[in-house]
Amino acid sequence: MSAATQYYVITILVYICANVIAAWGLDLQFGVTGVLNFAFIIFQSIGAYTAGVLSLGPASSSGGFETYIAGASLPFPLPIIGAMLAGAALAGVVGMITLRRLRSDYQAMVMLVVSVVATVVVTSKTGLFNGAAGLSLVANPMHGLAGLSRQTQSWVFVVFCFAVMLAVGTVMYAVVYSPHGRVLRAVRENEHALEALGRSATRHRLEVFVIGGALAALSGALLVEFIGAWAPSGWLYPETFVFFTAVIVGGRGSVAGVAIGAALIGVGIQQAVEYLPIGSDPTVLAAAEWIITGVITLVFLWARPQGLLPERRRRFSGRSEVVPR
Amino acid sequence: MEVFISAVGFGVVTASLLAISAVGFTLQFSVTNVLNLAFGSVMTGSGFVAYGLNSSGMNIWLAMIIAALCGGVISVLMNTLLYGPFIRHGMTLFGMVIVTISTAVISDHIIEAAVGPSFFSYNAPAGKALHIADLLLTRQDLTIIGIAALVTLVTQLTLQRTRLGKSMRGLSVNASLARACGIPTRRVVTLAWFGSGVMAGLGGVALFLETSTFSATTGSDFLIVVIAAAVVGGIGSARGAVLGALVVGIVTEVGAAYWDPELKDVLAFAVLIVVLLVRPQGLFSQLSTERVVVG
Repeated sequence: MSAATQYYVITILVYICANVIAAWGLDLQFGVTGVLNFAFIIFQSIGAYTAGVLSLGPASSSGGFETYIAGASLPFPLPIIGAMLAGAALAGVVGMITLRRLRSDYQAMVMLVVSVVATVVVTSKTGLFNGAAGLSLVANPMHGLAGLSRQTQSWVFVVFCFAVMLAVGTVMYAVVYSPHGRVLRAVRENEHALEALGRSATRHRLEVFVIGGALAALSGALLVEFIGAWAPSGWLYPETFVFFTAVIVGGRGSVAGVAIGAALIGVGIQQAVEYLPIGSDPTVLAAAEWIITGVITLVFLWARPQGLLPERRRRFSGRSEVVPR
Repeated sequence: MEVFISAVGFGVVTASLLAISAVGFTLQFSVTNVLNLAFGSVMTGSGFVAYGLNSSGMNIWLAMIIAALCGGVISVLMNTLLYGPFIRHGMTLFGMVIVTISTAVISDHIIEAAVGPSFFSYNAPAGKALHIADLLLTRQDLTIIGIAALVTLVTQLTLQRTRLGKSMRGLSVNASLARACGIPTRRVVTLAWFGSGVMAGLGGVALFLETSTFSATTGSDFLIVVIAAAVVGGIGSARGAVLGALVVGIVTEVGAAYWDPELKDVLAFAVLIVVLLVRPQGLFSQLSTERVVVG
């Protein structure tokens, strides 16, 4: 492979890993538990920003090039762990405000609002994460590996991302298909029945909100360490919609399905649009990508709401076993 | 004091923009329970219809009326061609949110692909500035305040005094009971979508007049503030929508005058969060307890 092809493949692989991890986070919230988190993208963002500032070093060291808070140069993998903690903490705060007392349609609206607020604050308060210009020059942690070429270092990063994705996937399988996963699905299917059995639906919603927030942040951290930059224009509120499409296309509540959906929607459509005979106007291309994503969502909701790989449902035998006394 | 009064003046203008749209948004929601996130796209679509008419020489106020009717038609088409079939296909309240957000994404980007990424403005002089006490308002501002008052009044009277309004309120409380009582549900729902679309059209053109420059996403970006106003008032209540619009409009403009103008939207959302923490159902709420979407 030529260097350019290799770079192309590396980029796609890293994006797939990050998208899959994020989509799993949303699947846990929306697919399994039924929380409409329209602010999902801000959790990916806080992860990217946190990982960025924790590896860039103090802001003064950039010579006035960028301004941000809490700059530090922590060794790998501490910035990523910090990012996950930040994502979980932000999700905890947002969840405490929105999930406890509001009806689910109010929750959806308030999440949209929260997403916009986050963009406005980060854009106008340049002291936080360098405003509209965003953070840049975040170094790939693998570029410090001695004795390897840049290309090999990037491949090492791909392997690292895959390892993280596999680890997250294993945990997802363990959680989603466990008895605890059944409780989460009960929150989605019939919260009144669940509460009648003495479980708190709100507590479980908050729980998946925090875990999903941490996973979104993890994906953001991986992305920023690879791309090297992160700015508000990349995480406007409609971006959340792409992850919803991924979950719907893959199959709500299905771990393997959502992984396929995330790879197809998050990366596939962007690549496919390049081959459409609609010219090369960047506005039209970007618009086409969004229109296709929207149409795919509607088509799936209409014709195959269970997604490509439907959620596995455990069937119990209809006859109840009477335990003899 | 002068700063305060002029900020309140701007606040009333912003509140009028919000009220026109929030009343339309909330009217349709209370009747059908469909959370129409494509409302902002209807605003933008109508705004560009008015732009087309205006740039071929038509007076902007006349163009606004035609655009509003177009908004009504777009809104009805959206319901009959897309939302209605999805609801009858068995989509839940929850799934409809995804359907409407998909519709918003698709329509916004169709508009963007058609008009491009540039900014537009109407050919409409704002009119002479008028001083009323310390307030400084243009004739355009006053017209928009008048439209808002008219829209709210007509909606409120329709809901309270007419047979149609009674049917709408009946539908929002219990759709199947309303149908059993002989209320022509389909027709009432279609009229609700039409009314909501007309208000989206009026709100869209008014918004584009006041922001003076607009692009393909202006409507949907504004929708978030409209939603904040509607939720503060208690979604589903026309009175609440107006009150929410006033609270959000005045707080943001006064905040912008004394604090950081860039953060004025944040204030709107702070109001929203405070209200929701104290009164999760909003200030006024005539929400139906029924959670069934009506198509």
